[in-house]
Amino acid sequence: MKKLYAVVAILVLAAMLIPACTPTAPDCTLPEVFCVGMVTDVGKIDDKSFNQSAWEGLQAAREAGVADWVQYIETTDAKDYDKNIQTFADAGYDVIVTVGFALGEATYAAAAAYPEIYFIGIDQFQEWPYDDDPSNDLANFTSLNFPEDQAGFLVGALAAMMSDTGTIGAVCGTDAVPPVWRFGEGYRAGATYINPDINVLVVYHSDVGFDKTFTDPEWGAATAGSMIDQGADVIFGAGGKTGNGAVIEAAARGVYAIGVDTDQYYTLPEAASMMLSSAMKLITPGVAELISLARDAQNGGAAFPAGNYNGQAGYAPYHDLEDMVPQDVKDRMEEINAMLLSGELQTGVPPVKP
Amino acid sequence: MRQLAGKIGEGLKNSLPSAVNSLLVPLLAVLTAVVLGGIVIALAGGNPFLAYVGLFQGAFGNARAISETAIWATPYIFAGLAVALAFKGGLFNIGAEGQLAFGAVVSALIGYALPGWLGFDLPAIIHIPFAILCGGLTGALWAAIPGFLKAYTGGHEVINTIMMNYIALNLTSFLLNGPMKDPNPNNVIARTPVIAESARLAPLFEGYRIHWGFLLALLVAFLVWVLLWKTTLGFEIRTVGANPDAARYAGINVKRTIVLTMALSGLLAGMAGTIEVTALNHRHELGFSIGYGFDAIAIALLGKTHPLGVVIAAILFGAMRNGATRMQFLTQIPVDVISVIQALILLFVAADAIIRYIYRIRAASERVVLTRGWGG
Repeated sequence: MKKLYAVVAILVLAAMLIPACTPTAPDCTLPEVFCVGMVTDVGKIDDKSFNQSAWEGLQAAREAGVADWVQYIETTDAKDYDKNIQTFADAGYDVIVTVGFALGEATYAAAAAYPEIYFIGIDQFQEWPYDDDPSNDLANFTSLNFPEDQAGFLVGALAAMMSDTGTIGAVCGTDAVPPVWRFGEGYRAGATYINPDINVLVVYHSDVGFDKTFTDPEWGAATAGSMIDQGADVIFGAGGKTGNGAVIEAAARGVYAIGVDTDQYYTLPEAASMMLSSAMKLITPGVAELISLARDAQNGGAAFPAGNYNGQAGYAPYHDLEDMVPQDVKDRMEEINAMLLSGELQTGVPPVKP
Repeated sequence: MRQLAGKIGEGLKNSLPSAVNSLLVPLLAVLTAVVLGGIVIALAGGNPFLAYVGLFQGAFGNARAISETAIWATPYIFAGLAVALAFKGGLFNIGAEGQLAFGAVVSALIGYALPGWLGFDLPAIIHIPFAILCGGLTGALWAAIPGFLKAYTGGHEVINTIMMNYIALNLTSFLLNGPMKDPNPNNVIARTPVIAESARLAPLFEGYRIHWGFLLALLVAFLVWVLLWKTTLGFEIRTVGANPDAARYAGINVKRTIVLTMALSGLLAGMAGTIEVTALNHRHELGFSIGYGFDAIAIALLGKTHPLGVVIAAILFGAMRNGATRMQFLTQIPVDVISVIQALILLFVAADAIIRYIYRIRAASERVVLTRGWGG
């Protein structure tokens, strides 16, 4: 028993020493201290997806000296969204980042209640709440959205360069949702840009209602399967679980798979071995940039870009297939990416379906 | 160190009235868990003192914090009562999670769709109770199934309620992704549309989120106490729980009582879900209530399966969950630490021999009947 007490005593001593190493928060209520807080959705901070990417954006802002202090709160239950945002607001934070569509209403309400704090919502969409009237947009609230057509264009070009058969496929959710349509048409445009004669099969799951279009992995898998039967050797899946179903089916059939939104190499391990790339929304630089713009606005610079803000698109690393992708393809991808970023190259995809 | 602990135990026992004495073990379990939790926090790189200050501030530091703690405690009270009631009847209801989810789904459906079905707006005085009632009854029906299987086929309720959880949670996921999904084209997550204004339980005070559901929970706790100790049915439930054979000789319909106990337990669990929808979230969203039904088992045990104990334990758990935000904010410790502390509390309550040994408390003569184990 005495030994046990000795162990406990050592642990308690260690407990008292360790905290000395952790940094303490500055007083964020001071005007010269610029603090940025982030509230996750019910996913974890290390989700290898939106939450983690956004947090890396906050950390980048701190490393760049834009933010003096960054902090996050993980949400464990949806009812805490309001409270968690308020915790930062009460502590005098200057910018609050909320991650994901689910926090849209809570963020809008908080932005209305705290006009002196800047709010950055990720993928929460313009014209909140659900209308087309820009006068409802708040001056201190912006939604970080992404040029899906450019992300689609990048992976479309990659697919066209990697295809041996000259046939590639994309399985998408409904084309009635503009971002999904932009992914699909961007893919088509990117593939055609590389090879005007390529056979691009783009199928939207528009034959069902909104309730089903993104949650139909069986249809996604079946559609991908029939594309592979028609000779497709690269499949892009864009549309929630429907797209995931297509990606997994493609990997199972041994053809290249391309994911969407984040680097799905991490989120779809069953397809990782054939995951060529993913059409990515680059959340990290987008968040860092908006934080910087918020700081400028607070210092009396240019106005905060309220409403909507377009982030950057990109493509994920090749991971396991690094050796399968020829060097000239890699070089070409970097070149196209740079041209899209500079605006030298346009995807030609309109914002909404004509 | 144990001598010191023993003195604490002795001192507390002598100074407290006998009614509180039965709560001594849970109290010391909480205390011990908090101390051990502090060590865990330190090992995780946080300052335990700052963490506990944050926890307390976040839970009770100001009016809004207290309001938020009450919000967290409300579903815990209902779900804790559900599990405790089943325990009294000798049944282990692990299915509160599923009953709660179904209660939430149905009350959300009644909340947003009923006016459309009827073609006219309902007054709140009818719409709110109806939504709550439907959610509660759904939970009751869902729990009555394993109750029926237990009574008439001998199928063990632990297994069956766990299985029913899987069915309920996956069916909920299907409904929220499918027929009941918020049809707004921008919506990408699994959730229902918002419920009508007339189905929303109002907040108690302007500017705070604490709502009438909290008072309802306290009232229901009182009613459960009345039911268990002041009515014939309650006597039957407790008798069946204590000794079903004796109950049968005494002329109690054991099978009927088992089904009824499970149904009542499910009713309470269903209300836990329905209150969250009607009073707080105003919609049902997938991912809400990860584990209320399981925390409820800990709450029922910690509360010694007594309604008053359940209310106190529920407020404690609610305070910890609510205070966790501020704790996390102040110290950057992962919120999961709270789950560790809760698990430690449960461990010490369930294995109270440890607490009795550390603090040198002799076992109480009264025996708390929980379940009759796998053979029953």
